[in-house]
Amino acid sequence: MKDKQDQRQLDRRSFLNSMGVCVCGTSLYGLPPFSAYTLNEAMAAAQEGGEKAIPTFCGMCGPSSGCGIYAFVKNGRFIRVAGMKECPTNQGAVCAKGQAAPQWVYSPQRLKTPLRRSGAKGEGKFQEITWNEAISIIADKLKAQKKQYGPESLAMLSPARRSYSDYMQRFLIVHGSPNYGHSGICAMQRAFAFSYTLGGQPMCDYQGSDVIVVWGKQPFFSGPAQSGAKNYLAAKKRGAKIIAIKPSIEPDSGMADIWVPLRPGTDAALALSMLNVIIKENLIDASFVEKYCYGYDKLQEHIQKHTPEWGEKVTGVPARQIQEVARIYATARGAGIDLGNGVEHAPSANDAIRAVAIMMAVTGNLNRAGGGGNRLGGGMGPGGGSGTKSVNLKERYTQEMVNKLVAPEFPKVFQPFMEGTSSAYYSILDSVLTEKPYPVRMVIAPGTQPTVSTRGTKRVIEALKKLDFYVVVDVTRTADMNYADIVLPTETVYESDHPFESMGGSIMARSKVIEPLGPYKSIFEFFLDLGVAMGYGEDFWQGSMTACMNDLLSPLNLTIDDVRKYPLGKSLQPSGGAPGGAPGGPGPGADSGGRGNFESIFQAKSGRLDGAPYLPQGKVAIYNTTFEKEGYKPLPEWREPPESVTGTPDVAMKYPLTLSDYHTSKCYTASWQRNVPYLREVQTYPMLHIHPDTAAARGIKNDDWVIVESPHGWMKVKAELYPGIRPDTVMMLHGWWQGCTELGLEDFPIGDGGANVNNLYSVDPDKAFDPLITAMSSQTLVEVRKA
Amino acid sequence: MIDEQLGFVYIKENCLQCHGCEVACKSWRNVELAVKYRRVKNIWIGAYPNVKCQSVSISCMHCAEPACVDACPQNAIHKRPEDGIVVVDSEKCIGCKACGQACPFGVPQYGKDGKMQKCDMCVGERTSGMVDPPCIMTCPTQALALSKMDVARKQDAEKSMKTLVDAA
Repeated sequence: MKDKQDQRQLDRRSFLNSMGVCVCGTSLYGLPPFSAYTLNEAMAAAQEGGEKAIPTFCGMCGPSSGCGIYAFVKNGRFIRVAGMKECPTNQGAVCAKGQAAPQWVYSPQRLKTPLRRSGAKGEGKFQEITWNEAISIIADKLKAQKKQYGPESLAMLSPARRSYSDYMQRFLIVHGSPNYGHSGICAMQRAFAFSYTLGGQPMCDYQGSDVIVVWGKQPFFSGPAQSGAKNYLAAKKRGAKIIAIKPSIEPDSGMADIWVPLRPGTDAALALSMLNVIIKENLIDASFVEKYCYGYDKLQEHIQKHTPEWGEKVTGVPARQIQEVARIYATARGAGIDLGNGVEHAPSANDAIRAVAIMMAVTGNLNRAGGGGNRLGGGMGPGGGSGTKSVNLKERYTQEMVNKLVAPEFPKVFQPFMEGTSSAYYSILDSVLTEKPYPVRMVIAPGTQPTVSTRGTKRVIEALKKLDFYVVVDVTRTADMNYADIVLPTETVYESDHPFESMGGSIMARSKVIEPLGPYKSIFEFFLDLGVAMGYGEDFWQGSMTACMNDLLSPLNLTIDDVRKYPLGKSLQPSGGAPGGAPGGPGPGADSGGRGNFESIFQAKSGRLDGAPYLPQGKVAIYNTTFEKEGYKPLPEWREPPESVTGTPDVAMKYPLTLSDYHTSKCYTASWQRNVPYLREVQTYPMLHIHPDTAAARGIKNDDWVIVESPHGWMKVKAELYPGIRPDTVMMLHGWWQGCTELGLEDFPIGDGGANVNNLYSVDPDKAFDPLITAMSSQTLVEVRKA
Repeated sequence: MIDEQLGFVYIKENCLQCHGCEVACKSWRNVELAVKYRRVKNIWIGAYPNVKCQSVSISCMHCAEPACVDACPQNAIHKRPEDGIVVVDSEKCIGCKACGQACPFGVPQYGKDGKMQKCDMCVGERTSGMVDPPCIMTCPTQALALSKMDVARKQDAEKSMKTLVDAA
């Protein structure tokens, strides 16, 4: 084994020597080159320390992180991580999470073996079984349920896009269920509203804009080693004016030129009142509006009521600041908006995103001649984009499957959308309780924890208790595994050699850093194995990941063994299929020189079964006839969260502060990784950000434990006196439950009295969801007192 | 005083407050829990709604005239003449924490063995391919660098870091 490894290293080195290794020594975005390891340097360093350096990519966050690393191994133990200088994604940088990876891999909280529940639900009694036993128990149950209740009785939960999302979709499609459970609060909500307004997704041009509006976005902590943060700093350095719109200051907004501190969840109201200013003061690109927009006259009429004074009342942002930012945005030579995930957490999310899209269009900031503004034509979304075969089997969707959706994330007529068919994550679980339109019978939760990841914890727990069969698949123990019938422990990515990753026009194999530490398989193999056990072997490469990867690579005439010969990735010739646009850069189809090809962009076809175009008039849908036809509002409107100071003033008498939560942190990925000591030392406790004046009025000092109570539940967390937050608002990071063994920190309760913010929100089906795109409210009213 | 010595350069405008440097230091040096050779802090400026924030990443400054060296009753700390790196001899250290009292930056750390430990610029840890310590190598935005500096520049760096640390 060792000889083989040495041989491989030798091969790599001689390969590199022969190719002269292309190393990015030049800087992107005007920053100087910096030091990290190249392959040769990593190999040399490893050799000196009696170690091995294995080129692969990080796996601590994201759907496909793509940060290249050298994983160092000594005596068979994964000991540390260095950044891969040659990797275009991170150029040698590694964030805190990436650096702490070995502690995650060796955590005492790793699941040890597959488990089968032997006690009552929630009791936590399990018996150890083998992987194969677990798979066949699930398959037997699934076959019986399929026969008795139909294939739609199976749902899988996928709160955000993950590297294995397409495998989930594939399994569901082959099985016949449309119930892919997407959160309703991540990326697809923007994709939907943007596509049905602009025909595509507008990327903020950080390089060319004079003004950049960073709205509901955390550009630093989401992949700090990647391009978002660098784009932001470079724009700042070249003198672009940065406007930050969010309720509290974080390091990014802390260096913005203007901070617009709006109340959580009021983005739609802010966008509408900015539009009011822009339209009233005629700060529009009249020829673009004339030629490419549908329904501007109706908007002119509609927007009159959304005055800056009205906006101030709802958002808490002074009317003069609303006017100021609207004018700056609309009159700049090029103004780009980077609209983040923060706007997807409110019952008015769809209209917030539409109003922002309309703002981009009417001010002439789409594909602006000479650059700047937002570039249309690219798009995120699934599909490797590198010319490999898609894992998803979208072509097999039928109307019958769409009709069976238990809780459509988007109305059935709009399905399948970009990722495929989908039901709303929370509402799938709710169907177990309401049995409307039917109860889901089996839920598979790979890498997600519904009791801490979605709202309405109390109902979620009831649903998990009542659910026929619950399967948890994860790396470490999870918040709700005690309700699971079967628990399957998976490999970390560092214990796995698949799949491959495509990034920046190249394709790179994953290398195994260490052998699995237990009887683990990968999350990908879980879907393959279950597929085979269900009799779907033909669609699941008969259980072989190698066959799978070779099949996916076949359009490129490559095999995975071919790709493995290139430790730093095999670069691909540009093919007919356009690769995905680089984040922050113009997408394909956008013409950076001129205004480009609106005629073709505005004809883009949606993924729904009837293939209807996103924009029936072939123009920006200011007045949306598609929505109108289905019974939704054709023009963007303001819609209050379930509780708010303006919407429910009576509730605000008892609970005067607005609560919301952060979904991105510097140390953790969602509800994961609180068990990693080096990360937990940085963010040890759940901290409630509270303005010093607000705290003082309640006798609360920094670091005090406090009780935060809403009409729906309460939590006990610590106060962090935080000057950079609206005094009428408190915020904290979501996802707290897990303890850290090494630091002697115990778990927090999942329910009331713990640190789980989800207990505090409303899940009222009539008030807490966006009526069209099911975005869930992360806003409520609370009072805070010393514990 | 040593005329040319190594010093950390911290460019606050580049810092994302991602803590990559802090965790890289711990991971690469296998630093025990509760001990930090490098720490990242937030600094508030102004009052609502005119608030800004800044970051600071601080480790041992390897001062031109290190207060810890003078404070140590055991002569366990010394400034290396060849490069100005301040190192502690744990054989001599008795864990009296006088250095901790003396240091204006709050740098000295005391682990399970009670002895002082701190950043030594990874001297002796750096392999041939490793130009800079891991804290610098891992930074996505080049907020940290090592530089040779004369005494005047070193003292300037100390002064501006002191301002940041006091504000944090």
